[in-house]
Amino acid sequence: MSQSDETATEVDRETTDTSDRSTVGQSILEVDAIDAYYGESHILRDLSLHVEEGEICALLGRNGAGKTTTLRSIASTAEPEVRAGQIRFYGHEITHMATEDVAVRGISLVPEERRIFPDLTVEENIHVAEVVRNRSNVLGRNISFDREQMPDEDLYEVFPRLEERLSQKGGTLSGGEQQMLAIARALKQNPDLLMLDEPYEGLAPQIIQSVEAAIERIREDGTTVLLVEQNAVAAMNVADRCYVVDQGSVVFEGTAEELRNDEETRQRYLGV
Amino acid sequence: MSDETRRADDTGTVDETGTGLAGGDLLTRWRSVKERESFVILGTVVAVLLFPYLFARAPVVSEILQGYQSLAELMLIWGIFVIGFDLLHGYTGLLSFGHAAFWGGGAYAAGVFAIHVSGSPIAMILVGTTFAVLLAWVLGFLSLRRGGIYFAILTLAFAQMLFYVALQPLSNLTGGDNGLGIGGSTIEPLLGFIPLDAGVPVITMFVDTWMYMLIGIAMVVTVAFAYRVLNSPYGMVFRAIRENEQRAEFVGLNVWRYKLMSFVLSGAIAGLAGSLFAIQQARVPVESLFWTTSGEVVIMSVIGGVGSLFGGPIGAALYLYISNIVQGMSEVVLFTQIDKLFPGAQAVVLPEWASPAPYWHLILGLLFVLVVVFIPRGGIWGGLQSIGSRIGSRFGGDR
Repeated sequence: MSQSDETATEVDRETTDTSDRSTVGQSILEVDAIDAYYGESHILRDLSLHVEEGEICALLGRNGAGKTTTLRSIASTAEPEVRAGQIRFYGHEITHMATEDVAVRGISLVPEERRIFPDLTVEENIHVAEVVRNRSNVLGRNISFDREQMPDEDLYEVFPRLEERLSQKGGTLSGGEQQMLAIARALKQNPDLLMLDEPYEGLAPQIIQSVEAAIERIREDGTTVLLVEQNAVAAMNVADRCYVVDQGSVVFEGTAEELRNDEETRQRYLGV
Repeated sequence: MSDETRRADDTGTVDETGTGLAGGDLLTRWRSVKERESFVILGTVVAVLLFPYLFARAPVVSEILQGYQSLAELMLIWGIFVIGFDLLHGYTGLLSFGHAAFWGGGAYAAGVFAIHVSGSPIAMILVGTTFAVLLAWVLGFLSLRRGGIYFAILTLAFAQMLFYVALQPLSNLTGGDNGLGIGGSTIEPLLGFIPLDAGVPVITMFVDTWMYMLIGIAMVVTVAFAYRVLNSPYGMVFRAIRENEQRAEFVGLNVWRYKLMSFVLSGAIAGLAGSLFAIQQARVPVESLFWTTSGEVVIMSVIGGVGSLFGGPIGAALYLYISNIVQGMSEVVLFTQIDKLFPGAQAVVLPEWASPAPYWHLILGLLFVLVVVFIPRGGIWGGLQSIGSRIGSRFGGDR
């Protein structure tokens, strides 16, 4: 496909997407009865969920339940392989799309563990996403985009610590700061859906509070969040709705309040 | 450590303590000036102008080094090759074991063009580089389907295929085992009227011939081009891919496309170097396509410093120095100039067993091992930068 064709396709896609997004509170992401495999290991079994516009939706479960596999299936990574079911974003099927195309459509994934580019500076980590939409200016330093990026001022308002460390290498930041940076990089792309995989993992309680505050602030700014977390208590603090996953299937769906009141589900599947 | 990341450290460590203010202020200024594009290019111009003089003609220094002009030219050509290789390996994280394909391919294309079409050096460079670009596009398209060791093996396999094609089926065109003899008389004067072996007016003492000028200009252009690419959004994406490919995909980057671009840019610079090699040698040995050439550029890159713009040329110079000068040191003479200081005093000739010539492979191997063990990421250039930083911190900076 030529470059102009690609650009034209993207413009068409954007136009279509924008028209689809007129209804506030609708399901923007629908995962419909997917079966996902790592090699021959059947991980997700007939898993269905949906995420509504503007909400924080938490995907909870024990280690190995299939939470990360669900996020990776949505992000369309090389593994796992989705062999049955459909994933739709704003009504368009994205099931077997290339990972970068899923990101370009407005889904940003902040993966677990080391989530940043450690040898790039904080500023470069944030701005590396800017090149995604840059088709015309190859070697120049001024970049133009067809998708509006989040202004730096807005980003640093949410993450003031990062602004103080712009020229520092990402790998030299503390764990909490690295997590903030990973979220900031994803937000820079102005995503419609931000997927966070274990954002509290390995963080001190005080830092978790800061990350929680940042996630709530992101929701207030209108970004929908799909949160995967083992720390069920922390996740329920910020989530509007929750899914509990066990052995690759959804075993609970309801509001965070309903999950708090459902002691049997909490004890049986989350151990809290 | 890469030049970029080092710069990032530099800008983040401004002396704000009040200790050694004057020195700290000067250091801060120096750090900001030395990373400017214009300064990098100007520094390269000065280094390129002074290098052959210091290496081949300067009193005392050149006599100690035992350097000569054609080796200085060769060092620059290989330096360009290593810069191209490092663009792919050091900055994008893709280790190719088949870069001989672009070096040799560029050299053969330039040589064949000179013999059958035109011996214009500029045209030879354009043809050789263009051929390498096209070749890199095809080989990159095929090799980048796989990552890691499989990518390295694929590049090696394709380069070896080219070697055997040049050796036998295309021997009528390439000269087969004997290599391609271009002949000095086939290569025309630069721009039609400047013989490459003529001295450059005014600065003859420094650069000697137009041949060196041509190679020197190619080096400056390569550094400027590579610096611009590496400091553009492209360079940032290359480094992001080097750090973590999948994370780059999550950001929305088409990783495969950027890797192919890096491969093609790298191949283009290798092809430029190969074309210059054909012009300078007036022949193309078939070994220029052999796997040992691919191996040599890897060793040069590691010695000089992976992921640093100037590490490559330093690594190339050291490698060629050991394999050309040290290899020929059958007799070591110390204090050759001593009679100028103390009339009547005689130079000291060391016994034959002290000659390093038989051990030059060992010396090269030791150098490689020492660099890998003690300065694995920065190589010699990284080591020099580290020493510079320590000296800087002693004179007022905070590091």
